[in-house]
Amino acid sequence: MPEENEELRKKQIRAVGGRRPVYHLFQLPSPVRRIFDKFPLKTYPANDLPRRSPPIGHFDTLHIFTTQEGALQHAPSFNPACLKWQAYLKFSGIEFKTISSNNHASPTGILPFLTPKSFSPSASSSQPISSNKILKWVSSRSDTVPERVSGMRYEAYRSLIDHRIRRAWLLTLYLDERNSEVVAKQLYIYPTSSNAIVQLSLYHQLKQAARDELLKTASYIREDEVYLEADNAFAAISTLLGDDVYFFGNDRPSLFDANIFAYTHLLLDESLNWQETRLADSLNKKENLVQHRQRILTGYFDRHNAL
Amino acid sequence: MAASPGGDEGIYARLNFTTDLKAVEEHERRIRERIDATLRKSQERLAELIDQNSTLPTTVSSITVVGAPNTRRSFLARIFDPLLSVNRDRPYTQSELLQECAARADKLNRFGIYHEPISLFFDKPEKTDPSTSPTDVVVYLTAKEKGRISAKTGTDLGNAEGSAYANVQWRNVLGGAETLDVNASLGTRTRSAYQAAFDTPILSDPDKRWQIGGVQSSTQKSFASHEEFLRGGWTNLRWLASSNSQHEVGYNGYWRQITGLASNASSTVRAEAGDSFKSSISYSWIADRRNNPILPSSGYYMKMISELAGWGPLKGDVAFWKSEVHTQTASTIPLPGIKGDSGVIFNAGLRAGLLYPLALGTKQTPEASHINDRFQLGAPTDVRGFRLSGLGPRDGSDAVGGDVYAAGGANLLVPLPRLGRESPLRMQAFVNGGRLLALRQAEKEGEMSSEDVRESVYNTVAELGNGLPSMSAGVGLVYAHPVARFELNFSLPLVLRKGEEGRKGLQFGVGIDYL
Repeated sequence: MPEENEELRKKQIRAVGGRRPVYHLFQLPSPVRRIFDKFPLKTYPANDLPRRSPPIGHFDTLHIFTTQEGALQHAPSFNPACLKWQAYLKFSGIEFKTISSNNHASPTGILPFLTPKSFSPSASSSQPISSNKILKWVSSRSDTVPERVSGMRYEAYRSLIDHRIRRAWLLTLYLDERNSEVVAKQLYIYPTSSNAIVQLSLYHQLKQAARDELLKTASYIREDEVYLEADNAFAAISTLLGDDVYFFGNDRPSLFDANIFAYTHLLLDESLNWQETRLADSLNKKENLVQHRQRILTGYFDRHNAL
Repeated sequence: MAASPGGDEGIYARLNFTTDLKAVEEHERRIRERIDATLRKSQERLAELIDQNSTLPTTVSSITVVGAPNTRRSFLARIFDPLLSVNRDRPYTQSELLQECAARADKLNRFGIYHEPISLFFDKPEKTDPSTSPTDVVVYLTAKEKGRISAKTGTDLGNAEGSAYANVQWRNVLGGAETLDVNASLGTRTRSAYQAAFDTPILSDPDKRWQIGGVQSSTQKSFASHEEFLRGGWTNLRWLASSNSQHEVGYNGYWRQITGLASNASSTVRAEAGDSFKSSISYSWIADRRNNPILPSSGYYMKMISELAGWGPLKGDVAFWKSEVHTQTASTIPLPGIKGDSGVIFNAGLRAGLLYPLALGTKQTPEASHINDRFQLGAPTDVRGFRLSGLGPRDGSDAVGGDVYAAGGANLLVPLPRLGRESPLRMQAFVNGGRLLALRQAEKEGEMSSEDVRESVYNTVAELGNGLPSMSAGVGLVYAHPVARFELNFSLPLVLRKGEEGRKGLQFGVGIDYL
């Protein structure tokens, strides 16, 4: 797009401190240019990069919320949005690495995003792909794209996850004091900084963001109602799955499976040390959803399945 | 002409008056002469009197500071109490007293809260007061306080940066020459900055000061495709060791956030995104023996800065020892055929820095450096002829900084033919160069041990001398404005590392601290 190019050019100008490359704008007489071209008289090989620089990207890399060890072991992300795409990429059979990151690194301000492997030796990364473009990227890369389900029915069930279950997730993780003090702090706050003031400030920002998100669709937050809606949603989705292995009768998991797995796995993950388990309890009653989670976990996230 | 609407008559009347005017002038001249003569005589008499009495024993019974209603008594007492004869075991001679009082007045002046000049008066105390002795004098100082609050707003244009600022200064906040400075600025590169600092002399000494401040800023770092959001505070002690050398020790605590990445940011910068807290103590020493800081022609300048972060009880998220040295010398080169000052100046500068990774608080393994702690090199005010941060390691188009650097430069400044050496304009020719290196990677992956770090620092410092430094040379014009130095240079890069960005052509620089 021309606007983008213009924007990019401006950025480049800004990148050199606003000083325009004068000799590019005005054509120099060729004898002068020939002399100029002789400079620099000597060019040595490039300087080494600092230690914290990631190695040159030979892999497609998914940037997610995870721990350093988790990233190495390909463990599931502890953030549902990240886990959804992590699972989907696994389903599609693309080989990729995961890396522990945070929202500041993302081009959209939200994780996950993906950096495709670099083919040019000079640049260590190519343009990042934000989460809403991963689906398109996968279909351009993989022949074994998971089934794409669409239609009214699919949309209705998808909105159950993206609204009702997500709202209950936000409520139970960030706004329930016992969970937020233990689980949310452990996952999102302590790894960010060891400074108490920074931790406190980020913790309040996190809680406020969750509250704002919940208040987008309701003028005040009624806990029981949110949990009840989530319980109904789980019931509906459980009925949808029935005795099938994967949703919509597919023999391989699709994006919808990844979407529900992102929540069921985290709610049932005891290593997160949940304090208030109301949401997990209602999920535990849906036998087939629990099995569905286990099936994906062992099928796609087991150690020896890792890259 | 419009002054006389009366027309011709008025003009004629004035013309008739001219003879009288001359008489008046003559009269005035005589009066002036007489006054001058009287003044001269009285001055001579005074000088004689002082001269005769210069060894006369004198004691001070009281000191009064007039015109400073907002200054604390205890603050002034610390300055003037030692002057009082009650606190001394022997009387002054009169010339001593004059000197002492002038020195105290000068001290008062250096707090910067009074209008200049501070005037001194001596008087005999009231004879009716039985407690006075015949040798007693009383001292009056007239120190008119400057306005307590001053505010200014303005715009700045500098190194490719435009900004608007507002500054409010509250002088003498608690009556002890304390200042509170509040600054706000919005700009193109420093997107926004808000800063407040409270500064106070210690024990009424203008040469020892304590400062505490806080800042919040957001800076566009386009040389590395990100924006840095900073929030934090500092406190420091500063003292003058002599008239041109200053020490400073301080504590700094900053929450830094690397955010707002450009879409083409390199993976190095992407890996650096996020929060970190720096908790550090710092020490700096500056000795400035140049005759002029902007365009020196003799003397030297030296600055040493050291910082220790994250070590032991300092905690935080980054740990390192960082040291930097800046030096500059200036000398005038005598030319055969020109008597005295030739106006041809030779400047040489050298800078070097090292960041040594340390282990954080309770951890065992040293922390690799973060992008916002590493050095950057290349600017119109340090290594000329390079783009901003044009030297050192690069990931794609991002200058990711280095842990070790050394840079040097030499310039020859020559007066312009017609303007001569008094003019602030000079022509210059320069050669400068340097290297900025990241600590060399240990062979093995993962955490590095203290031994690895030591070896890596040693290897990296050795690497500085490997091959020629990245260099450029050029000629240009220098304009030494009292506030800052402006340079317009034409330069060409001579030696580069692959990826480093030299500048062929013109470069404009504004600054105070040049290499």
